[in-house]
Amino acid sequence: MNKIIVLALSLIFIISTGCATEDSSSNTNTSSENQSKPSLSPNLNEKSQPSTNQQGEKKSGGILKRVWSDPPTLDPHLVTDGTSYGIVIEVFSGLVKLGSNPNEPIEPDLAESWKILDGGKTYEFKLRENLKFSNGENVTTEDIKWSLERAAHPDTGSTVAEEFLGDIIGVQDIIDGNSNNAEGITIIDDEIIQIKIDAPKAYFLAKLTYPTAFIVNKQNINEGGRNWTDNPISTGPFTLKEYKIGQRIRIARNDSYWGSPAYLDEVVFNLAGGVSMAMYENDEIDITGVGLADLERVEDPTEPLNKDLIVVPPSFSVSYIGFNVNEPPFDDVKFRQALNYAVDKQLIADQVFSNLVRPAYGIIPPNFPGFSQDIEGLKFNKEKAQNLLNESRYSDPSTRPRITVTVPGTGGSPGLTTEVIADMWRQNLGIEVEIQQVEWATYIQDLHRGRLQSFSGLSWQADYPDPSTFIDVLFRSDSALNNGNYSNKEVDSLINKAQTEQDITKRVNLYNDAEKIIVNDAAWLPLWWGVEAKALVKPWIKDYKFYSMTIPTYQYVWIDKDIY
Amino acid sequence: MIEYIAKRLIWTPILLLIASFFVFFMGNIAPGDPAELILKNRATPEKINALREEMGLNKPLVIRYFSYIKKAIKGDLGDSYIFQGKKVTELLIPKLLVSIKLNIAVTIISVFVGIPLGFYAAKRRGSWVDPTIVLSMLFLFAMPVFFTAPLLITIFAVKLGWIQASGWNGFFDKQIILPALTIGIPGAAIYVRYMRASTLDVIDQDYIRTAFSKGLNNNTINYKHIIRNSILPILTLLGFTIAGIFGGSLIVEIIYGIPGVSRLALDAIYQRDFPVLTALVLIGSTMLVLANLIIDIAYTIVDPRID
Repeated sequence: MNKIIVLALSLIFIISTGCATEDSSSNTNTSSENQSKPSLSPNLNEKSQPSTNQQGEKKSGGILKRVWSDPPTLDPHLVTDGTSYGIVIEVFSGLVKLGSNPNEPIEPDLAESWKILDGGKTYEFKLRENLKFSNGENVTTEDIKWSLERAAHPDTGSTVAEEFLGDIIGVQDIIDGNSNNAEGITIIDDEIIQIKIDAPKAYFLAKLTYPTAFIVNKQNINEGGRNWTDNPISTGPFTLKEYKIGQRIRIARNDSYWGSPAYLDEVVFNLAGGVSMAMYENDEIDITGVGLADLERVEDPTEPLNKDLIVVPPSFSVSYIGFNVNEPPFDDVKFRQALNYAVDKQLIADQVFSNLVRPAYGIIPPNFPGFSQDIEGLKFNKEKAQNLLNESRYSDPSTRPRITVTVPGTGGSPGLTTEVIADMWRQNLGIEVEIQQVEWATYIQDLHRGRLQSFSGLSWQADYPDPSTFIDVLFRSDSALNNGNYSNKEVDSLINKAQTEQDITKRVNLYNDAEKIIVNDAAWLPLWWGVEAKALVKPWIKDYKFYSMTIPTYQYVWIDKDIY
Repeated sequence: MIEYIAKRLIWTPILLLIASFFVFFMGNIAPGDPAELILKNRATPEKINALREEMGLNKPLVIRYFSYIKKAIKGDLGDSYIFQGKKVTELLIPKLLVSIKLNIAVTIISVFVGIPLGFYAAKRRGSWVDPTIVLSMLFLFAMPVFFTAPLLITIFAVKLGWIQASGWNGFFDKQIILPALTIGIPGAAIYVRYMRASTLDVIDQDYIRTAFSKGLNNNTINYKHIIRNSILPILTLLGFTIAGIFGGSLIVEIIYGIPGVSRLALDAIYQRDFPVLTALVLIGSTMLVLANLIIDIAYTIVDPRID
């Protein structure tokens, strides 16, 4: 999910990930000619958690408590942010979902299986038998079609329908307000539904894991009006029991869920804030992230909390400094390359961040589909940097345009990373940079208007397990989210080829080639990939695991009351 | 008196109109577009325009303002931009009630600690008691809330386990004690200063000396003559304390996990949630006007010379 973040905000999102293993194996995948193969799979299990006591029987019952933030929406079709996403994927569900199996990250959900026909242009889904909404009504293929069309309808107001469903034939007409019917979605019978897309796009199934493609109840929405999410009828492992803005969200086990019912009676998300470490120590919550201030203490083996400590795997994200390539001096590739070569990211990681960050030399994060170790990136090389600066059109400081890096925030301090990097540019290249901090609302407006010459404080997080979520979205010439106006015909052509390439190895190669060009063109100064974080989980919470992407978690979690 | 109150009440809606227009106007000239903030970095010019149209932001400011006021008179303060599908009143009222309750507790502590201490310090002028009270209250006043709040939580919740580290269970629950003390004690320091100064002023008056010399009972002098006269400036301060429910409690609300209105207000500012902001200003102004009115009436009760 796209997230513009300041580093501190990322923790809640990162620790929101998790899933268990055992029961997911019962979600048998009976599909598919063309399921994702290992080479395109994210290694979600990179750092798995805890010393769960697997002896003894898993027990039902109990309430898991944690801190969360108010979700901007609980309507799955409107979700664009991590906070809403973390709740919505527990309550609602779609045809397919992201799972914990690194070899097959896309798992069947409401669809029991699917076939890919017509050379990759038609997906035929078979629904599970006796699928029910949380109110006991049957889920039919009619509901699937209605939900997907509703997500695209202008009245719904989804800002991401085009991104996630726009490949489906007829959906663009609905988005444009010219139709109410997606011709590409055909109901074959009560159990079979076909979805036709405009080209054989290998990432289509991955996009269906996003909440925009989740199933909602027509009657619920028609009767509930704008506040239908106060009492939503849903198909996920949990149902929404209560939402009091600024106070709490309670989700309870959905007894009509198609799979094994959740062990937990409820999950309570505390929205009112508080000092989460103190709340954890006082047994008011069961899970918390560990901030830098408490890290040293909890890492001390003699500290009682140390036994609850868990390493949270890095999220699939990349932070960067963006360059507006239409603005001098960033319109000169050599100048941009010089800026890249002049930054010793490893030194910053070691000395400034105590290795809590991972220097990024490419775009796609490690373990993510399409990550290539061959991309070396523009690693620190002072001499090369100086040579490139001298070869660039802006070697003469007296005629060089003034450089401003804009960062969002209100704290008065622009952030250590930007300051240190500006200092490295000054020391290694003699380039003076002005850092300008503007309030978030102004920042985002100027970013969209293309008014920023160079911008820091941004990061991008994967929406779905496919390299297109980074490369297409951020670097294609015509992408609205290409904030630096980077444009390279060769990259566009490689992306277009990759979109419809069915051979996975070739597809990965195409993305790697595109990424190499982007990195070499120094479209950005990539900074850090998602960082490892630390969290505490109470010993009685069993089978809570952390992953690099947010996937449905709580249905597998159980509470060992013998310890509790 | 009734005429005075009526006059003040007639002025109230005019003040509110002016205040609300300022918020509308300021919102319009401030950089940052609500539609773009909702769309974040998924925004495209078409999406921004479509959303602005849907939110009614493309209409002229004056038209937007008057249609807002028309609805506001009927009690409809519009829909939040950020919490999709939520009415502003639905969002604000529960949070406002929490903040009001917290603020009442804070005021009680400030007044009942500050006024007696201030009075006592003045009465013991010249002894060690006076500077001890004043200095210790100044010390407490100088301690930042983001230091005292976690400290109190660590002592009373984590170490002693007397209360929860976070949460809100209403006015008549022990959970309210720590947040109320965190804001109330530094608040009491202000009352101590005002009350002390005002008492010293009164003590030196001729009529107090006269009261002593004619052999009046000490308690009678204290309560009937000194306190009653020295409390007048305090009433003004009290008015602002009661009205100031939006300020001062933000950090406390966040640290103690209290679902009050301050954080909503802060988010509304950052997110350009104009309907919420305008409603907050309207409610805040109303409270300020009403609090001042009540204080003015209280003056006439405390001091018969004021008509």
